[in-house]
Amino acid sequence: MGYMLEIHSACKCFGRGTVNEHKALEKVDLFLAPGDFVTVLGSNGAGKSTLFNAICGNFLLDSGQICLDGADITFMPEYKRSLKIGRLFQDPMRGTAPSLSIQENLALAYSKQKKRSFSLALTRKDREYFRQELARFDMGLEDRMETRVGLLSGGQRQVVTLLMSTLVPPKLLLLDEHTAALDPATARKVMAITHQIVERSQITTMMITHDMQQALETGNRTIMLDGGGVLFDMDQETRKDLTVDRLLDMYSEKKKARFSNDRSLLV
Amino acid sequence: MTLLIGSLQLGLLYGVMVLGIYISFRILNVPDLTAEGSFTFGLAVSAVGAVSGHPFLGLFGAAAAGGLAGSFTGLLQTRLQIHPVLTGILTMSGLYSINMLVLGGTPNLTLIGKDTLFSLAVAAGGGMDKELVRLGLSFLAAALCTAFLALFFRTRLGLCIRATGDNADMVRASSINVDRMKIISLALSNGLIALCGGLIAQYQSFADINSGVGILVVGLASVIIGEAVCGRRFVTMGLVSAVFGSVVYRYIIAAATKADWFPAYMLKLVSALIVTLALALPAIREMLNVRRIRKAGKGGGADGIHA
Repeated sequence: MGYMLEIHSACKCFGRGTVNEHKALEKVDLFLAPGDFVTVLGSNGAGKSTLFNAICGNFLLDSGQICLDGADITFMPEYKRSLKIGRLFQDPMRGTAPSLSIQENLALAYSKQKKRSFSLALTRKDREYFRQELARFDMGLEDRMETRVGLLSGGQRQVVTLLMSTLVPPKLLLLDEHTAALDPATARKVMAITHQIVERSQITTMMITHDMQQALETGNRTIMLDGGGVLFDMDQETRKDLTVDRLLDMYSEKKKARFSNDRSLLV
Repeated sequence: MTLLIGSLQLGLLYGVMVLGIYISFRILNVPDLTAEGSFTFGLAVSAVGAVSGHPFLGLFGAAAAGGLAGSFTGLLQTRLQIHPVLTGILTMSGLYSINMLVLGGTPNLTLIGKDTLFSLAVAAGGGMDKELVRLGLSFLAAALCTAFLALFFRTRLGLCIRATGDNADMVRASSINVDRMKIISLALSNGLIALCGGLIAQYQSFADINSGVGILVVGLASVIIGEAVCGRRFVTMGLVSAVFGSVVYRYIIAAATKADWFPAYMLKLVSALIVTLALALPAIREMLNVRRIRKAGKGGGADGIHA
């Protein structure tokens, strides 16, 4: 069976040759099988968002290779990759156009790979389909399709964004702390909707979170990044009986081990 | 009566230009100074076309010339990453020379005695009132452009352009080439502005190298007046209100010159003041609001002490 996402020894260094030189990604190898739901942990600056940016093509890698569903996308421009990759950010404002209505936002996402430029953006059939999809979430959004998105709450906007990035199921869905800016109740709701969507279309997904409990309970695999590399990679079997405390212990042990290794090199 | 009809004709014709400004200013969210150059570019091309006996070709040429100027500005903005305001200034300056070149090195050109869109229509209208025919033609130009744009902004491409001015990140994430959208919309905007220049040249049977000076402010004033009357709602309404604003603007000017409130050369200052005031309105409102709250707060505090 082929992998959905393959990352071969990806390296990225920012500000090379300056005092601010920062190795953001150091020889990252990562392989995702189709249908994997991977949660990504790591402290600030560990390289989580950088990894997502590299996959989406915000910048090109210094070295290494990225393949999506067998196709090499290492040098593909960002806007072309986004045809296959859906991405959600922490900030609900980023994923939607505020002065367009809900249905116009959805139409824009829906038509991204099939319609010709001069066809009508929003047909009656599309509208009916959007209404159906929105009704699934039970948030009353289906009755507000002509409302400008700028008037919605953060949680509502995030749900619209989530639907936008999965209306045409992507090969890969990247969730960058997409519930972190929401209140606990809304966050739970958005998380439940995320599960619903991902399971229905069997989308290969990566989700960044700072909630370790959530990371261990969600999906079928957890990776922890540190210093631009993968520190742990745990599949369902290994992480089954893992607690947050145990994970933290493992983290500090590994960090210590690494540090003493570095020391032994220096001394 | 002549003044009333004349202003309506001008308002409708300039409405085509205001539609162009509306696209760059309201939909794309950048004030595009290319307008000053592309208006005259269209004017010059259309005048030269009419002089050589091809008034219709002249109008098509005008629109195409404007589209070209707009794409150039768009390329500077996207591929070469130059600041949007500066790109407009660069294109506008460069166009001054090109416009002189098109006009054959003279600063102005007269079309009197030549066939123009308007003279041909008057001739074809037989015994109909000349001004009425010209009015009908102006109305047709404005209506056709408005209808075309209203339809265009309902297509997928139109929707992408609207979203680009709103949230470019999201458009990129929807797998749309943002740079291309910017270039297309600037080409469309300047194409309309140049078409308007072309129409004006044939309407007044005269082309002058300085016709475009201050046209951006006129356009902005018209957009703002239109919005003040019709409100800011959906895009089709916005287009209609832009043309409407243009007509109102012409009536304001007609009234001002008729009443002799100020000499004609003061018009640009008045236009600039209208735009400044309209753009500053939200800030002024905010300032007044803060002052009111402060005053109320102080008043309440004093009461507290006395009680």
